[in-house]
Amino acid sequence: MRKWLPVIVLIAVAICFPLIVRTAYFVQVLTLAGIYMVLALSYDMIVGQVGSLSLAHPAFFGVGAYTVALLVTETGVGVLPAFVAGAALAGLIAILVGIPSFRLHERSFAIGTLGLALVLQLVANNWMGLTNGPMCVYAIPALAFTLPGGVKFTTVSLTDAYYGILVVALGTFVLSFVVSSSRVGRAFHAIKENELLAEAQGVDALFYKMFAFTLGAAIAGVAGGYYATWLRVVCPALMGLPYTITLLIIVFIGGRGSLRGIALAAILCTILPEVLRISDSARLVIYGVLLLVFVLYIPGGLEGAIEGVNRLTTRRGGSPH
Amino acid sequence: MTPTAFLVFLLEEAINGLMAGSMYALIVAGLALTVGVLRVVNFAHGDLFMVGGFVFYFIFGLLGIPYLPAALLTILAMVGIGAIFERIVIRPVVGKTWEVQLVATLAASTAINNGAIWLLGSMPKMTPTLLSSTGVKVFGFGLSWQRILIIVVTGLTFLCLHLFLTRTRTGKAMRAVSQNREAAEGVGIDIKGIALITFMISSGLIGLAAALVTPVFSVFPSMGTMLTLKAFAVLTVGGFGRVNGAIVAAIALGIVEALAIGLIGSSFTDGFAFIAMIVALLFFPYGIFGKRVGI
Repeated sequence: MRKWLPVIVLIAVAICFPLIVRTAYFVQVLTLAGIYMVLALSYDMIVGQVGSLSLAHPAFFGVGAYTVALLVTETGVGVLPAFVAGAALAGLIAILVGIPSFRLHERSFAIGTLGLALVLQLVANNWMGLTNGPMCVYAIPALAFTLPGGVKFTTVSLTDAYYGILVVALGTFVLSFVVSSSRVGRAFHAIKENELLAEAQGVDALFYKMFAFTLGAAIAGVAGGYYATWLRVVCPALMGLPYTITLLIIVFIGGRGSLRGIALAAILCTILPEVLRISDSARLVIYGVLLLVFVLYIPGGLEGAIEGVNRLTTRRGGSPH
Repeated sequence: MTPTAFLVFLLEEAINGLMAGSMYALIVAGLALTVGVLRVVNFAHGDLFMVGGFVFYFIFGLLGIPYLPAALLTILAMVGIGAIFERIVIRPVVGKTWEVQLVATLAASTAINNGAIWLLGSMPKMTPTLLSSTGVKVFGFGLSWQRILIIVVTGLTFLCLHLFLTRTRTGKAMRAVSQNREAAEGVGIDIKGIALITFMISSGLIGLAAALVTPVFSVFPSMGTMLTLKAFAVLTVGGFGRVNGAIVAAIALGIVEALAIGLIGSSFTDGFAFIAMIVALLFFPYGIFGKRVGI
């Protein structure tokens, strides 16, 4: 039970936050942190748990955002069915790209997914008839529905939007936790450690990789849809390389495969640049240098640090392990 | 358009393509050397080209040094910058897994690219030279001297590179390292020295490309990313780490892109390299010219 105490405290703090801090700006920054958390956790499924380096994750986020934005503004489909469509389309693209790419060398998978991200961004930028190009899709209706018990929820309200993403982020965290500690997760880890050996044990590596890639993409699609109905404007830059870098830095600082490390890193990497008020290019210079330092010299990330502290405290407590 | 006019148009686009292809080839050859000899995937390669473009812009455009010495200084400066880059980013990742290499060099690329935006702004810089504003008329279309220079110098450079790799001691040592690292070390080849020399040659080729094409195209900080990705796509098509295959694929890409821009328009041409790459990966998983890594 002691193990879960920090988690319960964190959730309690997260729930109370908008009640104590009434500044709209901070609530919004934390909402963004929640979106990054969902994205980073879903990205970690493929990068951290299975160990295949995909560079297309923001593209799936963009597919979800554009699908919801266009379906709702152009065809009048309800917001919730549009969410499902966005997640499904992101997952479908992952399957279509994954099947050929996974058959190749891992390196080709990374470069292939990066190519996919660029091609999708080119489509968003240049297919003016569909996406309105660099002029963005705007005036997207907010997400609004009535919860059981008659409570109305709408992302027009900043606090509601915050609680909404809190629920989605917790859901993603729980889902990631369940997946990684299940039979499927053990298969993921076996593939990450040694794919050949895993296959020899009867683990269908291609199936599990596809599963992680598709599930991660679908969750990113949901995050994209949420983003679209929260900010109510969607631009092609969403799919760009800066987002890939930001996700990579979150996953590497957090420690690949570590859910708590990544959740923490997502919050830090959203709040710190906002609090320090630095420009986008300066932020990316710092991210670049940090990522370089982490990947070269601190490969364990925050997870490694947490474990180090744990080891110290247990030793002091006199526990045999 | 009459058939003759169409043929002239095709010829003009093909020559434009040969020029762009020469630039791609110089960039890709350096990358192929890095992959082949060092076994390092360098995702900051295109950003080094961007740095070369700005170095040329400063030396030629701002200091006003004449073209030939400015070009030579650019190459020298890039060899130096390449040596520093090798020491800071490349050497720590030699022998690490390719994921670590990719993430580390992608991180370096982000830092360089955004550092340039931070310091220089994101607006493109132009540096026309006397050679790029004068030229000859062939079949009714203008061909600037700079374009002819790009094609001729690229051809000569690859001839020299080929002679260097096949005839000199250092070149042979580089090929030996690319073929079998352990055996090369076993016969007393200084692997670290070869790695440094390889990276300096690769950066020198980038400097040369930057000095040649900056007068025709403009330079801007974010140009590197797309170039890196195209270079990797070309490398994948040409056979990973194979210099000759990469050069042929690069020139082919330049020509295909130029014809597509002329016939269809420029909106989606940046996607061609990746489509070619995906097709190549599906049918020739080891590249069209390659079987395994090696120069």
